[in-house]
Amino acid sequence: MNHSQLFLQLLPEAVLVLTALVMLGAAVATGRKPGKEFSAGIGIATFGLLLAAAAMFFVPPAGESSTPLLANDTLARIFKVVVLALGLFAIWLPLARKELENPGEYYALALFALTGLMLAVGSNHLLFLFVALELSSLSLYLLAGFPRTARASEASLKYFLFGGLSAAFMLFGISLLYGVSHSATLSGIAQALEAGQPSLLAMTGLAMLLVGLGFKLAAVPFHYWAPDVYQGAPATTVAIVSAASKAVGLVVLVRILQIGFANVAGSAAWGEMTAGWSLWLAVLAAVSMIAGNVLALAQTSVRRLLAYSAIANTGYLLVALSANGPKAAAAALFYVVVYGLATLGALAVTAAVERDRGDDRISSFAGLIHRSPFQAVCLLVFLTSLAGIPPLAGFVGKFALFSDALAEGGGMGFVWLVGLAAVLSAVSLYYYLSVLKQVFVKPAPEDGFQTRTLPPTHVLNLAIPALLLVLLGTLPSLLLDPIARALCETLR
Amino acid sequence: MMLPIVILIPLIGAILLAFSRGMSVKNAGRIAGGFAIVSLFLARPNCEWSLPWMPDADIALRFSMDGLSFLFVVLVSLVTVFAILASILKGKGDRAYFALILVLQSALYGVFTARHFIPWFLCWEMTLIPAWLLIRLWGGPGAPKAALRFFIMTLGGSAFMLVGFLALQLSVGTMDFDALGKLAAQGELTGALAKSFAFTGMSGHSLLTVVALAVFLGLAVKIPIVPFHAWLPAAYAEAPTPVTMLLTGLLSKMGVYAMLRIFLPVFPEVLPSLAPLLTWLAVATVLLGAVAALAQTDLKRMLAYSSVNHLGYCTLAIAAVAASQVDRAAMSSALSGVILQAFNHGIIASALFSGIAILEIRSRGQRGLNDFGGLRAQTPVFCGLFGIAVFASLGLPGLSGFIGEFLIFNGAFAITPAAAALSVIGLLLTAVFLLRMMRKVFWGPLKPSLAKWEDLTKEERILFGFLLLLIVVPGLFPQVLLHFANPAIVELLDLLRPIP
Amino acid sequence: MTPAWTLISAFAAALIVLLLPARAAMASRMVALVASVIGAVAAGSACLAKLANPAAAPWSFDREWIPNFGSRFHLAADGLSLTLLFLTGITAIAGVLFSWNIEKRPRAFFAFFMTIIGGVYGVFLSRDAFLLFVFYEIVILPKYMLIAIWGSTNKEYGAMKLTMYSIGASALILIGLVAAYAAAGATSFDIAHLAAATYPSAMQAWAFPVLFLGFAVLAGIWPFHTWAPTGHVAAPTAASMLLAGVVMKLGAFGALCVAMPLFPQGFEQYKALIAGLAVVGIIYGALTALSQKDLKFIIGYSSVSHMGFILLGLAAANHWGLRGAVLQMISHGIIAGLLFGIAGRVVYERTHTRDLGELGRFDLWKSLPGAAFAFTLATAASMGLPGFSGFVAEISVIIGLWQVYPWLTIAVAAGIILTGVFSLRALYRAFFPEREAAAAPPPKLPPLTWPEISAIVLLLTVSIAIGIYPKPWIQLIDDGLRSPLFQSFLSLP
Repeated sequence: MNHSQLFLQLLPEAVLVLTALVMLGAAVATGRKPGKEFSAGIGIATFGLLLAAAAMFFVPPAGESSTPLLANDTLARIFKVVVLALGLFAIWLPLARKELENPGEYYALALFALTGLMLAVGSNHLLFLFVALELSSLSLYLLAGFPRTARASEASLKYFLFGGLSAAFMLFGISLLYGVSHSATLSGIAQALEAGQPSLLAMTGLAMLLVGLGFKLAAVPFHYWAPDVYQGAPATTVAIVSAASKAVGLVVLVRILQIGFANVAGSAAWGEMTAGWSLWLAVLAAVSMIAGNVLALAQTSVRRLLAYSAIANTGYLLVALSANGPKAAAAALFYVVVYGLATLGALAVTAAVERDRGDDRISSFAGLIHRSPFQAVCLLVFLTSLAGIPPLAGFVGKFALFSDALAEGGGMGFVWLVGLAAVLSAVSLYYYLSVLKQVFVKPAPEDGFQTRTLPPTHVLNLAIPALLLVLLGTLPSLLLDPIARALCETLR
Repeated sequence: MMLPIVILIPLIGAILLAFSRGMSVKNAGRIAGGFAIVSLFLARPNCEWSLPWMPDADIALRFSMDGLSFLFVVLVSLVTVFAILASILKGKGDRAYFALILVLQSALYGVFTARHFIPWFLCWEMTLIPAWLLIRLWGGPGAPKAALRFFIMTLGGSAFMLVGFLALQLSVGTMDFDALGKLAAQGELTGALAKSFAFTGMSGHSLLTVVALAVFLGLAVKIPIVPFHAWLPAAYAEAPTPVTMLLTGLLSKMGVYAMLRIFLPVFPEVLPSLAPLLTWLAVATVLLGAVAALAQTDLKRMLAYSSVNHLGYCTLAIAAVAASQVDRAAMSSALSGVILQAFNHGIIASALFSGIAILEIRSRGQRGLNDFGGLRAQTPVFCGLFGIAVFASLGLPGLSGFIGEFLIFNGAFAITPAAAALSVIGLLLTAVFLLRMMRKVFWGPLKPSLAKWEDLTKEERILFGFLLLLIVVPGLFPQVLLHFANPAIVELLDLLRPIP
Repeated sequence: MTPAWTLISAFAAALIVLLLPARAAMASRMVALVASVIGAVAAGSACLAKLANPAAAPWSFDREWIPNFGSRFHLAADGLSLTLLFLTGITAIAGVLFSWNIEKRPRAFFAFFMTIIGGVYGVFLSRDAFLLFVFYEIVILPKYMLIAIWGSTNKEYGAMKLTMYSIGASALILIGLVAAYAAAGATSFDIAHLAAATYPSAMQAWAFPVLFLGFAVLAGIWPFHTWAPTGHVAAPTAASMLLAGVVMKLGAFGALCVAMPLFPQGFEQYKALIAGLAVVGIIYGALTALSQKDLKFIIGYSSVSHMGFILLGLAAANHWGLRGAVLQMISHGIIAGLLFGIAGRVVYERTHTRDLGELGRFDLWKSLPGAAFAFTLATAASMGLPGFSGFVAEISVIIGLWQVYPWLTIAVAAGIILTGVFSLRALYRAFFPEREAAAAPPPKLPPLTWPEISAIVLLLTVSIAIGIYPKPWIQLIDDGLRSPLFQSFLSLP
């Protein structure tokens, strides 16, 4: 293929990069006027993201001109749009002006992070994946520590140290796999593993790869960075981490396992357990769910609660992946989108409450239904979706996850994992309800505080995800079908 | 269709009374009396009505009025009217009071005409609440406790009855009295019980005995039979006198009727073995009632124990019927006696308690034996009319009280002579305390507090007049009553034929 | 009017109420009332239509929904569902009437209330397991809100306990359903399809208890019943009526129409245990009610005891038993509504106490004779006196049980007697206390309002109607029991 076709393949990412550069340039050019810079930053970023979404239409469909590094199949396209959308919502999160000294740089870095994520979604080449993920990770480390507060700095440092370590693992694993299969593409690895027994080296490589991705997804025991980052970083960063980054991490994991390592899966069904990544994921899922849900029960800070909720949700996702089946994987991909929307929304409301009341403790939400009914109702939608209550998308997602996982998990023996997931998911209602209790049941605080009027971006930011969650809850096929078909196509 | 209407008319009256406000006591009483008496004229023997509930389990609301039921329905109407009249005279009661009496009347109609356990039990229980409320809310100082004891003991007895019948339903598949009677006549109940309850390892005969005793317990509390009479004296004494008329005149007859309609036809297979128990309990009731009455100084309590005594004769007769199953003449005599005694005692007791009510009206609530004296001179008409009632209670030939007792003893002596002989003592004792009452109230020097007393007013004379009419006529012409009772007696005797 | 109107009216009302302006209390009540009436009329007319024309095909609504895991939007109503729909409609009307004077945030109250009603209608109408589960779960959050915001004693604790038990039990149901789906070929969640599949008995040995327990917890099976008295006491009157009267029946319905048909062999293994637990529940509930001093707690524990009858009927699994179970569902729904309505709304609102000793101060038979009369009738109904609906239900269960577990019948008789004792004790001490003559005269209480009277009359009429003429109800239930779902475990007669 020629360079123009290649450029078209990367058009959306190019648009984002250009937007970021423009923003950096504009920041320098306009001098340091924080107020104007802030809204300008959001505006330019919004424009860039929308342009990139439009650019998606120009990307030629897969197969016509694919390269070994890029695979713009339908799955990648869907999730690129998802990343753009989640990124847009993240950018619109209300941040306090004083949090960001250099908003232009901040939003530029955010765009870089999103670029990295988009690139990662569309590749079947391990090294390319690594580079893309590192692009996003490095941006995110900086984004986490942007405000020069002690908390943010601690968060950023932890994030960086953990991230660096896991990146090292990942690279080492990739190199082992290359050594075994003489190929860095997933299909090449699959071919190499088909012939004969998988060697110890290959499995070790896979394990190290999984460590790296586990960090990305905040699976236990690679999750230690999550609570601090969720609590210390600015809201937009957390939004990107929890929604977009997680979604991409899952897509990458699905690709790697299903394309590259399908035949070394093993089984996690009770009574028929065989070694393989299915069993490893099952164990990771179990401990993530248990740790995430149990630790969330004790939290008083909503952000940390959302962090542990993220860990628990990773557990549910890994349950589906452990089942090693296309329908389960499709359900997981559906669920991660839904989860992203819900967490984003919850973070948006939390950020608004933080701005109003000063901190993100659960008690700050008291009487929100009286202070700001719109935000309270949206928060109700988001948290009940996270808890898995119908008629919201979170419920359908979890249900689809569990039923497809059990159906494809290698027999009834898999029910131990699904059962554990169902029970822990029920437990999670407790801590979501404790927030909702403050919002709906407790009276508004006595200090006569009035919530300030909500900017239109914030209103849209809450309304659109909420409506989507309701829509997908009643008609989940709208998203589930395309994902399932795309996955089938990818795995063929 | 007549039958449900007859049963429901008093209930409709009760509902009307409940919802009308601002009515004076007298008017409420008059309306109540009107509703009470309408059914008397509408009731006809030989009609039936049935509403199936659960055909698979043979549960239906079945009511039927044969001669026996008709007699008791008439009794209910009469005594209720008299009670209402007495209440109006006393000036006691309000809308709720009369409404409750009407509800009680409907329930009693149901009890005396139901032919299936379910409607019968429903009406049986439905009498409890009005009776309890009437005693509790308009009674004397000890009324709450007395009412509660009445309620709990009766309910407890009913619970046993329910369990017994439930056992029958589960084994034989029906609780219809007539159906059960037919099955019992063929001796099938023991077999069915033995099969159903095989897991307990008891014989059919023992099982049926247990069931019979359970049912008996419920009835024994109602009649009452010693030793299940503990609720009676306090309840009768504390209740307002018109309510006591209802209690003694009607509610106790529920038990007697049930013995005839239910106990005897359904359990002939075990009656011979239960007969000795019944007999001696009857004797104990007769004697204890009479002795206790003798010891009372409160006139109401005295008459209460006298009721226990009089109904003990009914139990004696039933026990005799149970003991023998061959001597048809004696059994027929005994059964006739029971029915007559039940009807007549109802009227006579109403008359006696009306007399007490009149004493209470004049003396503003006093009713001790020693509170009065020398009234013969002051209120001669009252003395005369009340005297007739007392002699009827004694059993003077020519008045209604005689014929029932005569027939009972006639039958009982032929079957259980020892028990009958002992019961005669009861007759003698009755004479003693009744005559003593007459002497103490009406003879002797006139107490000064009574000097202003007036004789019977016109209304009171009318009340007593009707009562005495009903005492004298059946005394001279008992066929009037027996005409209705005979077919039922014949049917019952057929069922009681010894099992081949 | 098809049964779908029940669903439509309830959810539409919930939405409309939310859109009303902030202080529109009267409008929200009227909307809720109208919607409840529409629902009851729809259910009632469907019942009548079914009775008039028993051979007609049952109403059904079937649309493609989520092909990915084979779930269709499939609603249908046979005779059994119709009777339960009617119960819900009546309870909804009574609940709205008893809540007529709610002043605090009425819009939100009625929105949550109608959502629960809609969810209940949905469960009774669903023929697809996933759809049933959706409606089953929809009611969980409104339950919490109703209790936590408008409740009384210990409301937040009671609400959380009730909700956590509900969702915990739902997790078990989820596992059971998903297991059945997976084992039946992972093609469809249709209940008939899942029931027709055969499952290995090793799987049924764990799947049945999980699924059954999930439903039975909501039905108050002993020893997982403790959420019920706490929750119902904490809840406001209308919520208690709904929860004890109708929502608990969802559990029983699920056990009957989902758990038992799906895993009949599993059911056979656990039948005796279920019967035993049910009897323990009956007696335990009655004994605990006997020792309570709070009138609402007495009613709460009596609910646990009455629900035991339903589970007992299910365990007997013959015609009489199942008939009795469904009849008891209907009967207890009405009676619980009546008892909670009078105790919570009529008495508590005026006297602000539920303690038996303190209520004695008020001489309620004098100050609220209508309430005393109504509560007396309600107590009679609760005790199972013939003439009321409870009798028909209990005797059916007893006849059914007798054929399978005769020894347990004796225990049940003891339970009935205990029920009589505690019911009468409560009635006596609350309404007809013995007071010393020298005690101060009781304070005057406002008389019954028209909404209260209407609700009480409605409930009493239905209970007596069922009690006096049970034949049409039995006909409808038998029609439902003829469904192929039940043939795998239903033993004659």
